[in-house]
Amino acid sequence: MNRTSNTQHTANQVADIAIVGAGVVGASLAYALSKLHCSVAVIEKEHDVGTAASARNSGVIHAGLNYAPESLRARFCMRGRDLLMAWCDELNVPYAVCGKLIVAARNEEIPGLERLRTMGEANGVPDMALIDADAAARLQPGIHCVAALHVPSSGIVSPYAFTVAMAEEAAVNGVTFHLGWEAKRIRVTENGAAVDTPQGTVSARWVVNAAGIHAGRLAQTIDPDAPGLYPCVGEYLILDKQAGESLGMSVYPAPPVGGAGLGVHLTPTTEGNVLLGPSDEYVSDPERTSCTGKTADRLLAEAKSMWPDLPTNLVIGAYAGIRSKRTSPQEGGFGDFLIRREPGTQRVIHLIGIESPGLTAAPAIAEYVIEEILRTEEAWEPVPPADRVRRPWPDRFDELSEDEKARRVAEDPDHGDIICRCEGVTKAEFLHALGNPLGVRTLSGIKYRCRATMGRCSGGYCLPRIVEILQDEHGWTPEQFTVRGPDSPSFVGRLLEENHE
Amino acid sequence: MSEPVCSTVDVAVIGGGPAGLAAAAAAARAGANVLLIDRNPQLGGILNQCIHDGFGLHAFGEVLTGPEFADRYVRQAIGAGVRLRTRTLVTGLSADGELVCSRYGARETVRAKATVLAMGCRERTRGMIRIPGARPAGVYTAGTAQWLTNIGNVRIGRRIVILGSGDIGLIMARRLTWEGAEVAAVIEKLPYPSGLPRNINQCLLDYDIPLHLSHSVTCIQGRNRVQGVTVSRFDENGHADSGSEFELTCDTLLLSVGLIPENELSRHAGVALDRTTSGADVTDEYMTSVPGVFSCGNVLHIHDLADWAAEEGERAGVSAARYADGGVVRQLQDNASIVVRAGAGVRYVVPQRIQRGVEEVLLSLRVTAPRGPTTIRAVCGNTIVGELRLRKAHPATMEQMSVRTAEAAKDLEVICE
Amino acid sequence: MSERIMTCILCPNGCELHVAWNGEPNEQSIAVDGNLCPKGITYAIDELTHPMRTLTTSVRVRGGVQRLASVKTAAPVSRDAIEAFRDQLRPVVLDAPAAIGDVVLENVKDTGVDVVVTRAVARRCGKDSA
Repeated sequence: MNRTSNTQHTANQVADIAIVGAGVVGASLAYALSKLHCSVAVIEKEHDVGTAASARNSGVIHAGLNYAPESLRARFCMRGRDLLMAWCDELNVPYAVCGKLIVAARNEEIPGLERLRTMGEANGVPDMALIDADAAARLQPGIHCVAALHVPSSGIVSPYAFTVAMAEEAAVNGVTFHLGWEAKRIRVTENGAAVDTPQGTVSARWVVNAAGIHAGRLAQTIDPDAPGLYPCVGEYLILDKQAGESLGMSVYPAPPVGGAGLGVHLTPTTEGNVLLGPSDEYVSDPERTSCTGKTADRLLAEAKSMWPDLPTNLVIGAYAGIRSKRTSPQEGGFGDFLIRREPGTQRVIHLIGIESPGLTAAPAIAEYVIEEILRTEEAWEPVPPADRVRRPWPDRFDELSEDEKARRVAEDPDHGDIICRCEGVTKAEFLHALGNPLGVRTLSGIKYRCRATMGRCSGGYCLPRIVEILQDEHGWTPEQFTVRGPDSPSFVGRLLEENHE
Repeated sequence: MSEPVCSTVDVAVIGGGPAGLAAAAAAARAGANVLLIDRNPQLGGILNQCIHDGFGLHAFGEVLTGPEFADRYVRQAIGAGVRLRTRTLVTGLSADGELVCSRYGARETVRAKATVLAMGCRERTRGMIRIPGARPAGVYTAGTAQWLTNIGNVRIGRRIVILGSGDIGLIMARRLTWEGAEVAAVIEKLPYPSGLPRNINQCLLDYDIPLHLSHSVTCIQGRNRVQGVTVSRFDENGHADSGSEFELTCDTLLLSVGLIPENELSRHAGVALDRTTSGADVTDEYMTSVPGVFSCGNVLHIHDLADWAAEEGERAGVSAARYADGGVVRQLQDNASIVVRAGAGVRYVVPQRIQRGVEEVLLSLRVTAPRGPTTIRAVCGNTIVGELRLRKAHPATMEQMSVRTAEAAKDLEVICE
Repeated sequence: MSERIMTCILCPNGCELHVAWNGEPNEQSIAVDGNLCPKGITYAIDELTHPMRTLTTSVRVRGGVQRLASVKTAAPVSRDAIEAFRDQLRPVVLDAPAAIGDVVLENVKDTGVDVVVTRAVARRCGKDSA
């Protein structure tokens, strides 16, 4: 059945595509599909998009170095990086091709760098160079090494900005997002497939399972032979922007002699912070996003061995993300992306094991899945650009020129009211975040959209300002304040009842 | 659309807490044209949420609550003719006295002949001390909890554990108990409390709230909302005693683990900072390394009493007015000043530089560890230039001593025996 | 001879008082050491016979630029009476504007002590509900 208009899907209709999971892969699919005339429904168990691994990673646009040529990881990384940067340009999401240094601490590690370069060349990575310690120090002062592989095409992107921007622009162009709907089961139906959740069932002609760490288990509800996934936690430390003033590019350690894995990186962020991490630990709980003391100490020690002057007193936070690993703890290493069709109707496509370079690859995975669907589906016409509603990621007010700031304050006086001192966030930016088209009203959701409370003081000044604005000007009751949904209430009620009003 | 406003003043004071208010009033009384800029709607800084008493003993001979104390200085500032700009944040400060001020509908430049930094401090956070666990709702720094309770009219939780026995944590233990919450315990990593004995008494002992010294929180339990904390014993070297863990059930964790002077603006203006205090390096006239930029109050070093912050503000305000008037204010130059060092038993001393020839200077300092009867001495070479005898000394109590430096030729060291 | 060591709470000096007394603690029977001012002696006697405390808390404000005004007992009251003060204050709603010193409750529980405002709250213009 061919749809000729981009209609919003409601749960009792049959959508063209249902996507389970609104991480960066699900959001990439939604964004790409929103450019075509089709109806799309996204089912996400959390109360916002991009809250799991998609917000808790290194934010790296990978160059394509570390993957076996001909693997899906290699193929989607190389295609994905081009698409990612193009989409970031479309959406005004910040990114930077700042380059990466992979550093050898000892001469024994140099052959490992050479192997990486060879693999990169096979994947089409341009302009790599094996350089000596002096050349490395000129590129990135302060780094301790004997030699390094310089990879100029590696970059950084804000992973949550990218995910949110894609999802929001998809939403204003007709994609329906069911937030807080937890997919329990996928089953075959006469129209295609259906996704059952306690909040409702979504029927569609196609279902794409982009459920991240839960994708294996979810696939097994319809496809018992689908493989499972092993959660592997990666903890990170966040450093103050003051540290970011000294780090201009990513710095990774060379592969340890006799092992596999990426090691503990130093990564600058587009906001000016520095990330240390990730660690690497298999766990049994797919939601175990907690940080440990031992790991934090180890991250600092390993980072300091690469960057001796690392200002460790500038740690301002920590977070942890869960990798979706196909390889067991015994096997270790990395498995390739698995794109598996439900064998019967072929109408359900499972994306299993999308770990690194998942962020970089996401747009290419989306492109591929859509191509696959369009082999059998009748063509969905592209939406003319003039008919498209734009919802670009807003410029960061704090980063604008003084003239531009003055101009914006004149246009919108709320840009003069700075509510977050550490990040320079204005009330206008806060209100724009609050008014997001997905209807997200969690403190975490607002935080990711405008940066308030993400600064060094963790909300010391801005949380009171935010509470004031929401209580006094938007009538919020204390119960409405949550970190990330009804399960995470910030308060337990009023101190002194106000029911006399 | 209006042109950006650029006004010129003699003295700009950044921050309207006790130090800034006092500095502004003093500068105005000394004849300067003063502008005081504060980011909140109401002047008083942090004092507006400090509704407990204990303020004003030294300044007024009375025992006042924070807001009452602030009100006295607000009246002084208004009475002295200080111009006020509230709900305004200074986002930029240059070394040559240009302030960028932002508020609803306007970004303005203010040119000041002298600037007084009085921005106060922020709280040390969970992220900075790296407490393991997930990131559930219900973890607050004590000052934020105080705002939420006393201004926001919000009940933050029902069963509270407080990490840190500094005064803010102790005051909140009592405040929350008064408002019907259960405070399960106060946990302190050091072997002695960091807050005033008075507060241990009236906040903990009065309410039978347990105080666990030599302990700290080693994990926060709960994924979405705090469910409890793991507490461990720590030895004198700060190492956890494995096997000593116990769990405390709670739905809220308050952190009272230190205050950090808020010197972002200062850094960007090129002001040299002292690594121990995290505040500016200043002369006996409270001038920083940037000529015409002065510092006082908690942004200079963390005070124990607002009374002292205000007094220090007065001294800085007088110097700023003199500078703006073209008076000779001596600069932070190595060859023209003697350096003040913290010696054995002393954590820090402010000011860090004294101009040669200055007769008498009031030093503020803190000791490194609690002790009984002791003498703090300021020594210049072989000469004792100041002495302070104390019945007891504690790092939580800021001490002040006068030193006679008219004859001082060498650098000065402050030692606690 | 009875003895106790206590910390005076009347001011931030927090003098450590060494108190000794015979029989009922009063001005004649008590010896206090460690106080920097005479109030310490009164404090010690009170603390042994009927401890006194100052209550500082908040009350609701209607029509003000802030939701709460801070208040205090104008003088210390018996520690046992604190809860009664809190109970009486809980339903109180002041109408803005509130000024420092405004009496919120008079002579609570015959203590002779009023509760007064300690933080001014101006009237909010425009919308009349908070």
